[in-house]
Amino acid sequence: MSEINLVQAVNLALARAMAEDGAVLVLGEDVAAEGGVFRATDGLLQRFGPDRVLDTPLAENAIAGLSVGLAAQGFRPVAEIQFTGFIYPAIDQLVNHASRLRNRTRGRLSCPMVVRSPSGGGIRAIEHHSESPEAMFAHIPGLRVVIPSSPARAYGLLLAAIRDPDPVVFLEPTRLYRAAREEIEDDGAALPLDRCFVLREGTDITLVTWGAMTRETLGAADTLAAEGVSAEVIDVATLKPLDTDSILESVAKTGRCVIIHEAPLTGGFGAEIAARIAQRGLVSLLAPVERVAGWDTVMPLPRLEQHYLPSEARILEAARRVLAYQ
Amino acid sequence: MSTFVLPDLGEGLQEAELVAWHVAEGDHVVADQPLVSVETEKAVVEVPSPQSGRVARLCAQPGERVKVGAALVEFDEGPRADTGTVVGELAAATAPPVRAAEAAPTGAAAVRATPAVRALAQRLGVDLKIVAASGPGGAVTSADVERAARALTDAGPAEPLSGVRRAMAVNMTRSHAEIVPATVSDEADIDAWPPGSDTTIRLVRAVVAGCAAVPALNAWYDGRNMERRLIKQIDLGLAVDTGDGLFVPVLRNVGGRDAADLRRGIEAMKRDVRARSVPLAELRGQTITLSNFGMFGGRFAQLVIVPPQVAILGAGRIVPRAVVADGKLVAHRLLPLSLTFDHRAVTGGEAARFLKAAIEELERPE
Amino acid sequence: MPSAEKIVELPLLAEAVHEPDVVARFEIRYSRFLDPKGNALRPLPDFAAGPAELVALYRGMVLARAFDAKAIALQRTGRLGTFPSALGQEAVAVGIAGAMRKEDVFLPSFREHGAQLWRGVSLVELFLFWGGDERGSNFAEARQDFPICVPVGTHAPHAVGVALAFKLRREARVAVCAFGDGATSKGDVAEALNMAGVWQLPLVFVINNNHWAISVPVAQQTAAATLAQKAVAAGIEGEQVDGNDVIAVREAVGRAVAKARAGGGPTLIEALTYRLSDHTTADDARRYRSDADVSPHWAEDPITRLRNHLVGRGIWAKADEERLLAEVSAAIDKAADTYLATPPQGAETIFDFTYETLPKDLAEQRRAASGAEPE
Repeated sequence: MSEINLVQAVNLALARAMAEDGAVLVLGEDVAAEGGVFRATDGLLQRFGPDRVLDTPLAENAIAGLSVGLAAQGFRPVAEIQFTGFIYPAIDQLVNHASRLRNRTRGRLSCPMVVRSPSGGGIRAIEHHSESPEAMFAHIPGLRVVIPSSPARAYGLLLAAIRDPDPVVFLEPTRLYRAAREEIEDDGAALPLDRCFVLREGTDITLVTWGAMTRETLGAADTLAAEGVSAEVIDVATLKPLDTDSILESVAKTGRCVIIHEAPLTGGFGAEIAARIAQRGLVSLLAPVERVAGWDTVMPLPRLEQHYLPSEARILEAARRVLAYQ
Repeated sequence: MSTFVLPDLGEGLQEAELVAWHVAEGDHVVADQPLVSVETEKAVVEVPSPQSGRVARLCAQPGERVKVGAALVEFDEGPRADTGTVVGELAAATAPPVRAAEAAPTGAAAVRATPAVRALAQRLGVDLKIVAASGPGGAVTSADVERAARALTDAGPAEPLSGVRRAMAVNMTRSHAEIVPATVSDEADIDAWPPGSDTTIRLVRAVVAGCAAVPALNAWYDGRNMERRLIKQIDLGLAVDTGDGLFVPVLRNVGGRDAADLRRGIEAMKRDVRARSVPLAELRGQTITLSNFGMFGGRFAQLVIVPPQVAILGAGRIVPRAVVADGKLVAHRLLPLSLTFDHRAVTGGEAARFLKAAIEELERPE
Repeated sequence: MPSAEKIVELPLLAEAVHEPDVVARFEIRYSRFLDPKGNALRPLPDFAAGPAELVALYRGMVLARAFDAKAIALQRTGRLGTFPSALGQEAVAVGIAGAMRKEDVFLPSFREHGAQLWRGVSLVELFLFWGGDERGSNFAEARQDFPICVPVGTHAPHAVGVALAFKLRREARVAVCAFGDGATSKGDVAEALNMAGVWQLPLVFVINNNHWAISVPVAQQTAAATLAQKAVAAGIEGEQVDGNDVIAVREAVGRAVAKARAGGGPTLIEALTYRLSDHTTADDARRYRSDADVSPHWAEDPITRLRNHLVGRGIWAKADEERLLAEVSAAIDKAADTYLATPPQGAETIFDFTYETLPKDLAEQRRAASGAEPE
């Protein structure tokens, strides 16, 4: 058992997966000798050698594309895209090929690959280093989109993602990389994919979120608890395929739902969740479904960053609005 | 259209067997492109196209022997339709696309309540329209619904209207929706009436006199088409109140009957109403209505006109009142009259003149 | 303070002949064995010494062309979807496949039908795919070959991954990736060439240069004098061959594959040919090129060329030709009939291969799509 943070949990899971399965490869820019710019792949080259940990030339599109080729040949590549700001060239390979290979060959070829990337803002970084593109990937049939929110869930979900027979986009909240520490048993136990995690049970209002926003959401839940309001907090974790049942069960119980995400509001994944609640949970609702999200603008540079990221205060405002429907 | 014939293949050969076509009908070919393989004694030879063009027809089948000079391929120069794409097919429609409608003005806001609140209201039997909303933005909350439910249980049970009461509700609602009522009232001094006068008959005669003076009040008005029909015969609706509710049977052609006949008609009508045996036809076709509500009490009233009628005369309670006659204050019996008319079809002047004529008739001793 | 005597006399630039040193040069070689009439221009490679391989290559090209014609005929009658003909390019495809081993992996673009057929993809499978049925990509043979690739050049990085897999597993296998002249403008291809070079992968890239990227001629695609020289930028070898001389293609690809298999790294081969057909059955090439441009290229026909060579060497006779045409025609008709008699898959198959295991919300959609009542 060791107390580690999220990025160390990622490192632990990678090492574990590579030790258990010789087909698991790690590749990307600066993943070998450097150990990854965030140290996510630290020590892996030394332990597993250059045939398992490969530095690629600077070409995100080809990194994703060659992962498709490796996966079709029976390897389990875990490709790192250094920042989600640079993941966009890889979208072609993920959308046009990785997500479709099984389908278009009727199962003859398949694509058990993982693309992992640090995602989201709040790290006072320069431009293009604070992206939250999860909704784009969640829209693609055949992909899985997974976002861990704690060291333990990063460990368990990354193991699950690597073992999964289909392509997974694993977005790691950069802001959480060193935020909290947790005791993790390196037991190789995967957490279930396609399932939400109830971080806190409650009866008066359901707060649905993922990634780094779980922190602010749990903070808001604390404040509400002090006011006598019992909030249920759900970490979606796997955005696609979505565990709709867990969310609907919660809304049936509380009748009120606020969805929180850092990514911009319009077309954000909160809209999908709200639509599903509207379709199948409408009769339970006592109040409108609210979303607290990033503005429909680009993430501002560090000096204005705090105005963009949904704060605990904004979450509480939304919660109070829906609680007004007594 | 041009025809390509099998050229001379050399070696004195007059004919060849067609082995295989390399093009199909509809293909566009270019000059020198092999069209067909034919077999000569020595070899299988490819015959190239002499021109560019579209292959319209292949004139022989594989296995056939074709003579030199015989038709091999027909070309045409027809233009090829532009598919408008390089992949797939684009369907072309001739009908224009649907135009977006002009934005219609929104109607009155419906009750604002979330589905859970609506479901609660339904379970508790509460009509959301009667619930006072206290939620954000004027929304009805569950607490509001529960409050309304408690109030309703204090009230008596809801009884749906049926029969005559229902008909009254329907008719009055319709009247209210269509008619523009106005009322002019006055009193007739009936002190000169002999004892035992038949008030109802006198009132009927008064209506007849009014209609004679102002035929416009014995009419039907069609509001939708804005058409008015003046009616010669007066079929008078007579409001009859029973324990079951209000009936308004028709006394036909009151202008052409004498008092005795009218009395007989009225008695027969009352009998039938009490016995609930009035034929349906006798409840329809009123051209003007008389309501002698004064039998029960009340002086003046605004009454309800049932379309397509345009007028109803109401008689209130006959009561002696102080009047000035010949400069002296005396007590005379007065009969209050209220004439409610549909101001879409009847003017105030017409109504006033009708009433004046009716009162003149009533104030005659006989 | 520097001493005045120590200042060295520097020759003035204008006086000196300033010639920077050449640090790199390149050369691109072009090979051809048969002229357009089928005459051997130089000694032939070993495989062309006897008839067996050459006849096999000839049969492969004839089959490819006949398949092509049948596909077009089916499309014309509404029984096949949009089809990209490879008319005139048969030698490139067949030459590539003829040089590969069964255990190698082929990654085609969409105009190498002849290679797919040679490697064991069946006629029925090709008809099914172009007829709009995914089962056509579930090859019974050549199980590890990739299906055709529509987004141009995006399969080049896949080839890198496949070749890397061979290298990591120390297998004596080669990946061969074919794409057109248009693809060489694509970033994917540049990235793949570069990676293949830096990792010295067992990978052969073949450019099926048919001169046209839909309506854009290759002269408007790049300023490079040859496409083969794009290899130079990646630090790998590049060469050109006459793409209508199947012997030249077979020889060049064979050499490159052998080199790769022996650990000698990747090669880029540019096969020069000409697209005698429209880009697809939906295209009308007369919008951008004249018939007069196309006609002369029929003189370079790869099938006629090899036939003339075979006939000239006494390897091939009239009876052989008739027999082959009949055989090919029968095989194609039979395959077309099988394809036309194959009913479409059930609607539920739309879902069944999206993931290995169907997730719950997709299972609901599957039920809805197959017309079942919602649960």
